[in-house]
Amino acid sequence: MEIQKITTGDSHELLVSGRIDGEGANKMEEEILTTMRAGAKNIYVNLNSATFICSAGLRVLLQYWRQMKNSQRTLLVTRPSAEVDAVLVTSGFREMIVEKV
Amino acid sequence: MSAALSVEITLTNRPEERPRLLEGLEGFAREHRLSGAVRQAIDLALEEHFTNILKYAYDDQALHTIRVRLELDDRAVLIQIEDDGRPFNLLARPAVNTAVPLESKPIGGLGIHLIVHSMDHVQYERRGEKNFLSLRKQLTEPPASG
Repeated sequence: MEIQKITTGDSHELLVSGRIDGEGANKMEEEILTTMRAGAKNIYVNLNSATFICSAGLRVLLQYWRQMKNSQRTLLVTRPSAEVDAVLVTSGFREMIVEKV
Repeated sequence: MSAALSVEITLTNRPEERPRLLEGLEGFAREHRLSGAVRQAIDLALEEHFTNILKYAYDDQALHTIRVRLELDDRAVLIQIEDDGRPFNLLARPAVNTAVPLESKPIGGLGIHLIVHSMDHVQYERRGEKNFLSLRKQLTEPPASG
């Protein structure tokens, strides 16, 4: 799994590609934490090139969606691939997805 | 020559075994030209169950054997995962309510939901000192092995 970052002011986009399995979820968590510590007000996790996500990845997204929200900031998922979108929707994560940034 | 209709992947309870599990599944999927959707569903169920075994099945640090068997018939892929960990009937767990808003959704607990949701049939059995989880995933179209 690879993660690229694009920063525009207070908004940070994380472009995640490949498998978000148990190991990938740990890596994504580290990147989100680093981005939060850098003072990001908005984090967009772009999952267009992610080919797989499991419950460990969902846990990371939910945990930091909530932490960001509690500090009046946002973390959202953008452009999920079809495979990832199916898992997000099945798990009740639809409200975390935004169509466009 | 016909492709083998079943394959057994023998693993130990170590996270570094994950790639071998995936390679075994991908080889089987390629050999039988399974659709992307079927392969993805099995991948998800195996990942979730293997993770649960690693996290919860054993109290000791010893190496334990986990056997994963994939078998094809003309309508479905049959999957059986065998471990010698503590008894764990995932079907006895309360169902996750996915309609709960993100604000109050519990963190974690979605793994079993994803196994059950991605498969067409799930059955648990405890035999002797072992857990057997049997899964069935319908083929969306007939396999093209041969």
